[in-house]
Amino acid sequence: MRLHKHLWFCALAGLLCGAQPVSAAPWVRGYVVATYEYAFRYGGRAGFTRGSEIEPGVDCPHGSTVHFANEDETRRALARQKWRSRQEIDWITKPPGLGQARAPVLTRFFIWNRAVSYRGYRRGIETYVNPFAAEDPGQPQVVSRIGDGFNLDGKIGTRDFVSPDGEKGIDNALYRAWGCDAPWRGNGNATLDLRANDKMQEGLYTMVIRISGNQDPMNDDNATVEIGYSPDKIVKDARGNVAPDYSYRILEPAEYTRLKARIRNGVVQTEQVAQMHAPRIAWFYDQTGDADFHQGRIRLKIADDGSAAGLLGGYRDWRDLYVENAFAQDGGQQGIREHEDHVALYYALKRNADGMYDPRTRRYQGISTAYRITAMPAYVVDPDKPMDIPLLAGEVDRKAAFEAIRAATIKAVTTRVPQDVPPGTTEAAVPTLERVIVDLPSKDYFLKTLDRPRYPEEKAANDTSNRRAANDGKSLALAGKP
Amino acid sequence: MSFRISTGRTVAVAAAFFCLAGQAQAAPAAAKVALADAPERLDMVPPAGPGVFKMEKKGADRFHLVLAGHKFTSRDDVEKYLAWRAAELTLEQDGRWFSFIEARGRGDAVAVPRRDPAGLRYSFRMEYFRPVWRYRLSGDPAWKSWSPFSGAAFFADGKDAATIADFEASADIALHKDQMDDADPLAFEAGAVSDLLVNQVSPPQ
Repeated sequence: MRLHKHLWFCALAGLLCGAQPVSAAPWVRGYVVATYEYAFRYGGRAGFTRGSEIEPGVDCPHGSTVHFANEDETRRALARQKWRSRQEIDWITKPPGLGQARAPVLTRFFIWNRAVSYRGYRRGIETYVNPFAAEDPGQPQVVSRIGDGFNLDGKIGTRDFVSPDGEKGIDNALYRAWGCDAPWRGNGNATLDLRANDKMQEGLYTMVIRISGNQDPMNDDNATVEIGYSPDKIVKDARGNVAPDYSYRILEPAEYTRLKARIRNGVVQTEQVAQMHAPRIAWFYDQTGDADFHQGRIRLKIADDGSAAGLLGGYRDWRDLYVENAFAQDGGQQGIREHEDHVALYYALKRNADGMYDPRTRRYQGISTAYRITAMPAYVVDPDKPMDIPLLAGEVDRKAAFEAIRAATIKAVTTRVPQDVPPGTTEAAVPTLERVIVDLPSKDYFLKTLDRPRYPEEKAANDTSNRRAANDGKSLALAGKP
Repeated sequence: MSFRISTGRTVAVAAAFFCLAGQAQAAPAAAKVALADAPERLDMVPPAGPGVFKMEKKGADRFHLVLAGHKFTSRDDVEKYLAWRAAELTLEQDGRWFSFIEARGRGDAVAVPRRDPAGLRYSFRMEYFRPVWRYRLSGDPAWKSWSPFSGAAFFADGKDAATIADFEASADIALHKDQMDDADPLAFEAGAVSDLLVNQVSPPQ
């Protein structure tokens, strides 16, 4: 009996001791995000091609997209517009006299750019601002069942993915819609992943995470996760890697969210919040801004070396995703260069939309997403005094043009009334085509036939220029010079 | 003739048809709910005249649509308007997409479009919205039919449009409320079809 009592006492004491955290003092861990990209699970074999297919795999059986990748693909895209003549399609595809142009590749590139920027149901409707007015060119989609992300809606649907560790109900419809898109698909070598991460690491923007609690950094039931923008540029080491242990300020309230979290064996799981603000992926300043996740959450795994990796997820307004991708530069330029077609991407977003249902329009405005991040340990501190996210003065005009074309596009797809391209963008290769085409023998045909945006101030500038030229002519004549 | 609507009531409808574009007098209660919302979406397109657009409910989610006119303009005009009405009907019924049910007959020569789950996915492929036609030429009381699956040239090709006294284009569709089966070549996402066509269509006369 005494032995039994003793054992009972020891068991109780052990239980009480076990319930205590290893350490129970306030703690803080900071991270600077080193890579930030869509959580698209690659299923191909790097470098493998089959015929014209680029890296076919279990995710995308016919490989990555090849929109505008060659003359046949471009001809196919142009032939969808019944208003184009056969000659127009032939000449755009293979511009006559191209060999005589000083920069034939660039010349054809920008002719294609202008041509594919007008694929509406009639001439004169710019396509990237008005994607709904063009026929769907089709997009390969992810067919595999395994995908990264979160179960955002708490349901297990027939179209949901299964996570690599077996969790069912994963909502990542963006992966299904865009996972075969060439610039976002790859095994660490997707061109826009590389570009965006490169720009972020070079100082375009910085995202930081701060985790704090009162128990143990590896096991805490009542932790707090903050995610936000830092005005401090990422510091890299001598080998080009993101360096650990530097200090970064975290700004609020813009692009900032504080979430409750639970940590188990170094795995940080936040609550799901109605809105989660954080910086969004960008590779130009004009794209930077708030990702604005709905029903957002974060999961991070803290590694033994102090680094972290994990996912951000939530529903995003698919119109924002479209705009951010299409108008980094201009839709035609990025589409031809990256072998993606934003019209196809638009329709893929729209039909895969699965969240943010709007009962007024009876349509889904959101699509489930997951973003993969890696992060290095850092000191994340509050600024000495509150500050706003700084503006990049040299890019303010371009940012304004981006916001204008964003507004025009959202108005177009919401009202279904085609909108004009606002001034200040480079849509339809304006004015680049006019510059590069000068020595192409067939230039007059393209400059006359292909649609392009026209701006009032451009007309005013031309009028001024013409007046000045006329006045110069008069002056020269009066001076008796030729 | 009668059919059952979603409220469970069986409603008798004269001539088995009822019209949506402003001819709501024969519409049952469930359809009236949809009609109340219809102007919001329909106001970008002129309303159809009496008897131009008719639909018959055939089963829980299936509809037979008929577009009739006597001033023929082009095949494209008529078929686009019918496709737009199919999309609008789907949205009015809280559907997300519709599948086009091909009216094929024996001896049809045109190939059946096949699913290709590994291939490109689409929100719609307008080339596969292929209604069947009836028509009557002026001076001839007999109605004739033309099927897009027969392999024969379109009946109006090479004809003066004025010689076509009456025409009808009809299509069967099935409505769906779940996520679209975008590997189905006969699937049409209603919102996308409506958006594309809303600025292009007018009802025939």
